[in-house]
Amino acid sequence: MRWSFILYIIGMLIIFLGICMIFPLLFGLYFKDQSVIPLVQSLGITVGFGLSLVICFKKTKVEHISHREGMAIVAIGWTAIGFFGAFPFYLGAEFSTFVDAFFESVSGFTTTGSSILTNIEAVSKGLLFWRSLIQWLGGMGIIVLSVAILPFLGVGGMQLYKAEVPSPVPDKLKPRIRDTATVLWKVYALISLAQVLLLTIGGMSLYDALCHAFTTMPTGGFSTKNASIAHYDSVYFDTVIIIFMLLAGINFSLHYQFLRGKPLAFWRDSECRFFLGSVLILIVVVTFDIYGTVYNTLGRAFQYGSFQVVSIVTTTGYATADYELWPAMSQLILLLCMFLGASAGSTGGGMKCIRVMLALKYCYKELFSLIHPRAVKHIKIGGVSVSEDVVRSVLGFMGLYVGLFAFSSVLIASMGVDLITSVASVAATIGNIGPGLGMVGPTDNFAHIPYLGKWVLIWCMLLGRLEIYTVIILFVPEFWRK
Amino acid sequence: MKIIIVGAGEVGFHIASHLAQENKDVVVIDKDFAAIRRVSDNIDVQVVSGSGSSPVVLKEAGIKEAEILLAVTDSDETNLMACLAANLISPTTKKLCRIRHADYDEYHEVFRDQAPHIDTIINPEIEVVKTIERLIHVPGAVEVEEFADGRVNFVGIHLDKSARLNGVCLSDIYAKIGKQSPLIVAVVRDEELIIPRGNHVLRAGDLIYFISEQEKLMGFLSIFDKHVEPIDRVLIIGGGRIGFRLAFLLEKKSIYTKIIEKNPDRCAKLAEKLNKAIVLHGDGSDQDLLRAENIQDMGIVVTLTNDEETNIITSLLAKRMGVRRTITKISKFAYLPLMSMIGIELVVSPRLSAVNSILQHIRKGRVLSTKAIKGEQAEVMEAVALETSDIVGKPIKNISIPKGALVTSIIRNNTVIIPTGSSVIEPNDRIIIFAKKQAIPKIEKILAVKLEYF
Repeated sequence: MRWSFILYIIGMLIIFLGICMIFPLLFGLYFKDQSVIPLVQSLGITVGFGLSLVICFKKTKVEHISHREGMAIVAIGWTAIGFFGAFPFYLGAEFSTFVDAFFESVSGFTTTGSSILTNIEAVSKGLLFWRSLIQWLGGMGIIVLSVAILPFLGVGGMQLYKAEVPSPVPDKLKPRIRDTATVLWKVYALISLAQVLLLTIGGMSLYDALCHAFTTMPTGGFSTKNASIAHYDSVYFDTVIIIFMLLAGINFSLHYQFLRGKPLAFWRDSECRFFLGSVLILIVVVTFDIYGTVYNTLGRAFQYGSFQVVSIVTTTGYATADYELWPAMSQLILLLCMFLGASAGSTGGGMKCIRVMLALKYCYKELFSLIHPRAVKHIKIGGVSVSEDVVRSVLGFMGLYVGLFAFSSVLIASMGVDLITSVASVAATIGNIGPGLGMVGPTDNFAHIPYLGKWVLIWCMLLGRLEIYTVIILFVPEFWRK
Repeated sequence: MKIIIVGAGEVGFHIASHLAQENKDVVVIDKDFAAIRRVSDNIDVQVVSGSGSSPVVLKEAGIKEAEILLAVTDSDETNLMACLAANLISPTTKKLCRIRHADYDEYHEVFRDQAPHIDTIINPEIEVVKTIERLIHVPGAVEVEEFADGRVNFVGIHLDKSARLNGVCLSDIYAKIGKQSPLIVAVVRDEELIIPRGNHVLRAGDLIYFISEQEKLMGFLSIFDKHVEPIDRVLIIGGGRIGFRLAFLLEKKSIYTKIIEKNPDRCAKLAEKLNKAIVLHGDGSDQDLLRAENIQDMGIVVTLTNDEETNIITSLLAKRMGVRRTITKISKFAYLPLMSMIGIELVVSPRLSAVNSILQHIRKGRVLSTKAIKGEQAEVMEAVALETSDIVGKPIKNISIPKGALVTSIIRNNTVIIPTGSSVIEPNDRIIIFAKKQAIPKIEKILAVKLEYF
């Protein structure tokens, strides 16, 4: 581990983050609100700190980045980015303690969308834009973005990419990692732009359209309104947002193939079929569960049912209805959706469809070999055998995920939080969803979680976003051994 | 530029990493999962797992957009099949194929003119034999490369402790020796390659690369206290394909040659094909055999068995038994940097030769030949200065030559010019450029024709 080298790259990332603060600053200046001073201060602190790191460790040679260093850079880099991204919130008037600001910032970057704020509409426009922008940056991955635009990361970019975008079956769209990162960001930006257009056509102001597109595409879920999307109560906006949440939950390499003129790409991909199929089934079940009990017309039931299901399963976390008033079965389905998550290679969180698919196939294989003890059977995805290594790492991942979920919920419960809230708050943060159930439901916020509990949840959000291994590895003593 | 490499073995791996560092789009195909894994973990390239001779796999790798296909698996047959398949799917792709078996030697032309239309056939064994021949003839040299049809030599030597230039500053060489020194292009010290300036002090153990005209070479070598001793006896250990080719060449030159081979059947074959050379059946690391064959009187011992560890050990043994010079064949690139440390100076590598010939064909512009030097930290390229390129018609000091690169000589109508800052490159001059790895893409750019971009 070459620490000076790791710190040099992190310094670069921090400078990059500082530069990004210019955009909310422009909004702050345009609306002439009170966000200007905190933003300028944070910009100075961030760029200054980043520069001093870079200057201190300038002499290091950037060549090969080892696997271990890649993970360290990404895990520490994300923590640092969350830390510096919190400054505009902390220096502004709305957040009383630093841990609250840090929570909001990490919740943004990890595209969780859990908020501390009680009255969002009272916050200045500049800060709200920052809150949306950090979700957009975190969605496709701030490190992937820097691999795409910062030339110095060219050679070692691959290790960073692998650590930030872990996927059971990695796919490289282009021979070079830099081109792959660029293509992904272009596709991401393009779809976001399309959403901005559709939202403004529907009558949303450009500012709100930008903020909402910036939090839909990364499956983030921060809204500029207190009541989230329910504020608009419009079938048009609900439909547009449902479509874009689904797009965000699909593997971006499929979008790329689609844009390159292969319209059947979505259908051919078995994970995509699984994802869309399960969403459809869940929508039907939830709609019929709430039809008659909560909503009188089937149309209303479908509108709210489908929005909530898509919002949770893609791990976005917008709300148009208070699902805590729904029957227990629907609530439970939504809770389980938090674990399923979206596709690998999408901006969504959770365990990811492909892992669940692999685990289900593995279970079936076990049953099958009880019946035919001598059978040779491979686990296949889309007709291609998946190697034992991949299956093992997927099962390991799921074991860790559930284990860490259980451990963290016990920690939260030990601080005097009730049962449902403890379980749901951890599920919602480790899966990067946003709202949970109980005291942290869609109409509540996370402000009342005890001080230490917030730290636990911050940790959960990072775990979820970087898919466990990259973060947890820092806590394994073997990692630090020379 | 997109390049598809079939075969992720030692050659495929190194070409891939070389090209990836030059920002080319590389796709590597191999059927061995572990080999593919090694590539994707270490190099920034795309990988496809599958057989490279399969049209489906080639299509998946994007053969249609590829400019060059390199078939470098260990099997000649797979390489040929890959080229054939590529020829069917994408006839415009340039095909380079490694074919090692001597039986194919006479069909190289046929493969070019008829299907599979292979543009270049690479036979590293022929190259290696040529390299060994050059090393035998240049005393003290660790590396000898020829440019401009042999008129210009690029030579690497180790500076001995007893050499007069030990501890001398480059600008003082004339004062010290009383003779003009050659253009010293690079010095490798502690594994690091530096382009020296006038104030650079030479030290014992430095690996010095210099450029010289053919006629002046012996004179320059004497400046570094390397003296000519004519070689008349050679012992070859290992009678494989390279061993045979070398023995055949040496006996034609009337050099007294002995060749030791372990396998009796192979010995019989060698004895059948060779006339003057003495074929000995036995183990090359057998001290009694070596002593019985008067190894201490041999001018040079060449170890060419298929097992590189045996080659290394045998070379060390030969040195201990009194042989002044040994040439060792090594395949694993990882061993190359270790060799000078354990006292083995002359090393040849068929794989490095293959890498060299392949690189030459990938370079843009009118590049005639390219040689990667020790550890692949730099390359020497020979190119034609095109009329429309950026380098002609102005003094060299005004050309924006990238950092880490050097124009080492200009060849104009059979005269070799070692340039100074005010020399001017004229159209159709052949130039020899030395460039560090980082400077290569930029060098390619300035060599290329400007018109290409219109």
